[in-house]
Amino acid sequence: MTPAVEMNNPWLVFGLRAFAQTLNRSHYGRFRRFLCSNARATAGGAGNGMAVKKVTLSNFWSVLEDLRIRVRQSDFVAIDLEMTGVTSAPWRDFFEFDRSDVRYLKVKDSAEKFAVAQFGVCTFRWDATQCSFVAHPLNFYIFPRQEPFVEGAAYEFLCQTTSISFLAKYQFDFNAYIREGMSYLSKAQEAEALQNLRSACENDLCSTSYNSYERVEIPTVRTSDLLFSERMKIRFHEWREGVLKYPEDCTLEGQSCSPKTQFQTVFFKLRPAVMLNGFTSHKLKLIQWVLRKHFNDLRYICVSGENNSSQKLVVYTDSKEDMASLMKEVKEDQLKCREVKIHSAVGFRHVIDLLSSEEKLIIGHNCFLDFAHIHSKFIGQLPSSMEEFTLSVNKNFPHIIDTKHLICSNHVIQYLMSKRSKSLSSAFSVLCPKIYSASQNSASSRSYVKVEVQADESGSSYWNSGAKHEAGYDAFMTGCVFAQACAHFGIEFEQDSLAMDLPRNEKLQNYINILYPSWNSGTVIDLRTGAERSDSGYKRKYPRIEFPNIALVWGFSSKLKPKDFEECLCKVFGSAAVISVFCLDRTAVLIQFNKKEFVDHFLVLKDALERDDGPISVLHPLAKVLDGGNTYAADYETYKEICGCLASKLMFAEQAEAMGIKWKTKIRTGSVEKGEIYSYTDIAENHLNISLIRQQSEIKDASGEQEQTREDVLTSCMLRS
Amino acid sequence: MAAMAGGKARSCGTAVRQVSKSNFASVLKQIRADVEAADFVAVYTRVTGDSSSSSSHRWPWRRILPIDTLETSYLKCKLAAESFELFQVAICPFSIHGSKVIAFPYNFHLFPRDELQMGLPSYSFSCQPSFLSSMAREGFDFNTCIYDGISYLSRVQEARARESNRRPSLHPISSSRILSVADSIFKERIKSRVHHWRKAYEGSSQDSDLSLVQSLRKLLLGGEAYGSRPCMSLDVCSERQVQLVFETVEQISDDLVPIFIPDSGGQPKAVRVVLASSQEDKTALLTEIEKLENEQNLKLRGFREVIDIISKSQKTIISHDCLRNFTFIHEKLIGSLPATLPEFMCSLKLLFSNVIDLNNLLKVMGPLRKAKNMSSALHYIKRHFFLPIEIEVPESPEDWITRSHGNYALRIASLFAKLSMLLKTSASQTALEHCTPIEDYANVFHPSSISLNEQGDDDDDAVCSTDANKRVKTDSIIFLWGFSSTISVAELKQLLLQIHPLFSEEFDVQLVDKTCAVVVLGSLHSSEAFLEAVRSGKTASSKLGESFADGLKVAGYDAYKNVCMLGLWEGNLADSLDIVMAEQMENISSSHGANVNEKYWNSEMMIDLNHL
Repeated sequence: MTPAVEMNNPWLVFGLRAFAQTLNRSHYGRFRRFLCSNARATAGGAGNGMAVKKVTLSNFWSVLEDLRIRVRQSDFVAIDLEMTGVTSAPWRDFFEFDRSDVRYLKVKDSAEKFAVAQFGVCTFRWDATQCSFVAHPLNFYIFPRQEPFVEGAAYEFLCQTTSISFLAKYQFDFNAYIREGMSYLSKAQEAEALQNLRSACENDLCSTSYNSYERVEIPTVRTSDLLFSERMKIRFHEWREGVLKYPEDCTLEGQSCSPKTQFQTVFFKLRPAVMLNGFTSHKLKLIQWVLRKHFNDLRYICVSGENNSSQKLVVYTDSKEDMASLMKEVKEDQLKCREVKIHSAVGFRHVIDLLSSEEKLIIGHNCFLDFAHIHSKFIGQLPSSMEEFTLSVNKNFPHIIDTKHLICSNHVIQYLMSKRSKSLSSAFSVLCPKIYSASQNSASSRSYVKVEVQADESGSSYWNSGAKHEAGYDAFMTGCVFAQACAHFGIEFEQDSLAMDLPRNEKLQNYINILYPSWNSGTVIDLRTGAERSDSGYKRKYPRIEFPNIALVWGFSSKLKPKDFEECLCKVFGSAAVISVFCLDRTAVLIQFNKKEFVDHFLVLKDALERDDGPISVLHPLAKVLDGGNTYAADYETYKEICGCLASKLMFAEQAEAMGIKWKTKIRTGSVEKGEIYSYTDIAENHLNISLIRQQSEIKDASGEQEQTREDVLTSCMLRS
Repeated sequence: MAAMAGGKARSCGTAVRQVSKSNFASVLKQIRADVEAADFVAVYTRVTGDSSSSSSHRWPWRRILPIDTLETSYLKCKLAAESFELFQVAICPFSIHGSKVIAFPYNFHLFPRDELQMGLPSYSFSCQPSFLSSMAREGFDFNTCIYDGISYLSRVQEARARESNRRPSLHPISSSRILSVADSIFKERIKSRVHHWRKAYEGSSQDSDLSLVQSLRKLLLGGEAYGSRPCMSLDVCSERQVQLVFETVEQISDDLVPIFIPDSGGQPKAVRVVLASSQEDKTALLTEIEKLENEQNLKLRGFREVIDIISKSQKTIISHDCLRNFTFIHEKLIGSLPATLPEFMCSLKLLFSNVIDLNNLLKVMGPLRKAKNMSSALHYIKRHFFLPIEIEVPESPEDWITRSHGNYALRIASLFAKLSMLLKTSASQTALEHCTPIEDYANVFHPSSISLNEQGDDDDDAVCSTDANKRVKTDSIIFLWGFSSTISVAELKQLLLQIHPLFSEEFDVQLVDKTCAVVVLGSLHSSEAFLEAVRSGKTASSKLGESFADGLKVAGYDAYKNVCMLGLWEGNLADSLDIVMAEQMENISSSHGANVNEKYWNSEMMIDLNHL
């Protein structure tokens, strides 16, 4: 496939044959291409060379105006996010052993700590005349840059080393991200900034006189300072005289001044003024002091000028009233100017506001975490519970469809995908082979939805290569997958766009606002109600998990393996007592017992063994677990607490330590009564005996044996008491 | 030195050698020679954020503030070093010859790439957006760093990586124990096996056998080949056995080379015994294996090799803002930072015996005391003194990438040269006994803090501003929290004036963050009286009682120190102080004895409050 024509535009490397056909049609400065005959795409490089517009600081505002129109006209909008990381520590990864509230805490932690690096937005509009969708992918670089006058918007964020390496592998441009990334403010941050601004202005207005007089104290006597003050006094006096004498003459004849400090009369708000340039802050303080001491009608003013520089002026006013009105004008100007700055600091959030206010159907792929990011970055702090979060998302984005859920729960698509992975690129290659690759001879007669990529003609520097794992292109793929899936559901596109109304289409009702909370949760969540239900299609790796039956152990010797835990505990509680031992990381495990009581039992026993320093504590089978003296144990609730903790330590044990946990064993209240009733060593002794006996004799029914153990303990307790 | 003789020099700031993964190996040799030839080494780090920057922090009190003692500053630096990442280390070996400085500046680009697939050197790291932005403005190339940065492991990490990722090696872990009976039996068995195997080869070496016979022999003897040399594997199951095999093999013959082979988990699996054909062949074999080991070592250590070179050379290290720079270097390249400053200084001293902090040197030089940063100090010197220092940067080899920006280490070298020249001239003017050699300034760090009431304007005249150094004892500082978030400093001051007679004299109030203020009493007063009054509830005025009933809380400097030591960094200062106070209430009965020491520490500790 050697190109016959030489083309300058970078995106033209793509689909030349198709391009030749399209070129004739594109008279209006707009290029349109059909993606169905990509000559270059091979298995590895899906869609290489497709043009995705790169949006940064320099072109954001113009793109935003275009986008407003495009979103309004669109039938749906696909989004995709690239983050600087997903999990802040290995133990914060998503496990099957996470209860839904724990899982939400992990999502929350991830969304709060990591930044969004790229935000892909792709609008899709049905073009009835062409019988195809018109897609317009955009790739926004966003960076939490500190904006002036807006406090607290740009806090530190976390990067996961592997994620950054991953982005680098797909040629992410970090320089563009940091230098030109678009900044943003969440709704909450904007409200706070405006609030602060207003209260600051009010304070300023009512306490101007008092404050400014106090702020500048009388300078300490130093010869150079005195000389300078005196010189300034004379100079301002001369200038003032000059202004009074020749109000129409603009320049002042200062004979003895060096050119650097020459006073030039300018007009500030129709009043004569002097610009103060080239003075140090110390000298400016002296000038202020001189002015206040010697001149009633000269006023020192500091206004913010162009590009964040502040301009210092001395203004002449006719009277006290004039002075007051001047100050008021200055204040109002300042307020207005800062409000404008806050508005511009909102930056990328304008896009989110647009998507939210247009109430369009939003398409994402496995997008629960994406919406957590959107919420924490652009709406406000994430609420503490999953229900509140889902309702808040639903309020802002009433129609969301997750293509991952769509693919996994529809039988037709399941059949098409057969056993392939459910990743976005694999779904894209199966469902949209014509867009994915050029193979025109695909024998299947299925009707493929045509998608045409639209790009307007502008500087070529704005184009990104359009490759996998680039937010803009991923959003495009997501949208294509959705469009194709709609075709499989039998949704008719051939009619008028207005009548289509996808969010209310009956055939989509089973999929709308249903998301996977995480890839291995085995559940789906309905955003409209916040209710979570189990997903029938999910195959669990572990047997059914009963959270009250789980004990958490951490800080044990690094030599211990999960197998050792199982061995130790089976010796004590019987071979069937331990269902599974799951490693959170190398410092912590979750142990699932077959009964809730065993958790309490285990905790009491551990506590007892630690208090005792006799031979039992050494000989007991559990001694291996307690080796090192830093073993902590608690129930599942503690796991949740630790997951909710802000600190981000690498190891679970370190995190627990950073939380300031003082106890070594947390015994559930309302469980086995402790301390007062019987001595701990007794239980330990009993357990030791029992376990020794058990090792000798054959055990037939483990659970029966367990009952016996408990009974033994209790009888012994009663005897003692 | 050879480069100096060459005399091909470029002017300062034009040719900093940029080192990344692709050219690291070739630069290593050169920098080794440069460090060896130099008198001093200037070091400066570029990181993704720090505790001293005036940028916005989620918790602003985490920055180093004027109220911080050296001890608490260290703890804040420690926190920063633990959370942020090292992106570049500028290293400049240099020598001073009269008024001439010969410098070899290098910039090493780093990225904590997980080369071993073990989650090392770091799982994740923090970034400060404003910090990154200002780096970007200076032209810092993040793509070079992330795409092609050199990775590294700290000494501690390397040890851990070696343990779980052991490679074939010539040196087993040795442990001396008395031979047991089982050991001697094992040794004898090994001896006879190796003897037998070796003999077979000896016999065959005269006549060249048919290949069939050779392969048959191989099958029978269980021999394999190590490259072109014959070898055999001896299975072992413990470190002890490895050592025994090594001992035995060495006793049998000189032409046998034992190599330790670990399994995937790093546990001993086998010892491979290679038969060398001659003494020369053995040497060749040994160098071959050693070369492989060195390559592996370099892959493990990465950039740390450079720090090891400098450490080994024992040269005097020059840096600016040393507390920040070396907490980072320690955390990333040596091991986790110790809990206290003295421990850190000891540990650092083992790495670099002599470190001169320019911050400290500037503090010593009267008028330069207030220089906020290097450029303001350089600027001041340029305006006020005539110091004919010429910096010579010998041209680097053609194919090396050089760039003009990012010449921090070079600037440190030049500032140091100027300062030492100033010190020398001032010393020669004054009496001889006052003359202190520059080495006396070594190993004293001075943290640079930011002022609480930040002023936006860049002020190059600040160096000679008027107020005298105000030093305040830590026990005349009171932390105050629990007030409404809308209250202003002036209002707070008014409130204090009303509640206690102590505040009738001069005192200062500043907000540390939105929730907590710090009150600095006049130098004569101690906070103890006030704190006692609050504690006992014997209030001098009803107003005091009222305010404290409203939730106002106070604490002395100890509480703040405890917050830092316990690492309660997550949250507003008020929240962290609350936690500490609650704990103190719990421990109040148990820790009466310890307080005496604390006081002693307090009166010794002075803090510089000139920014307040």
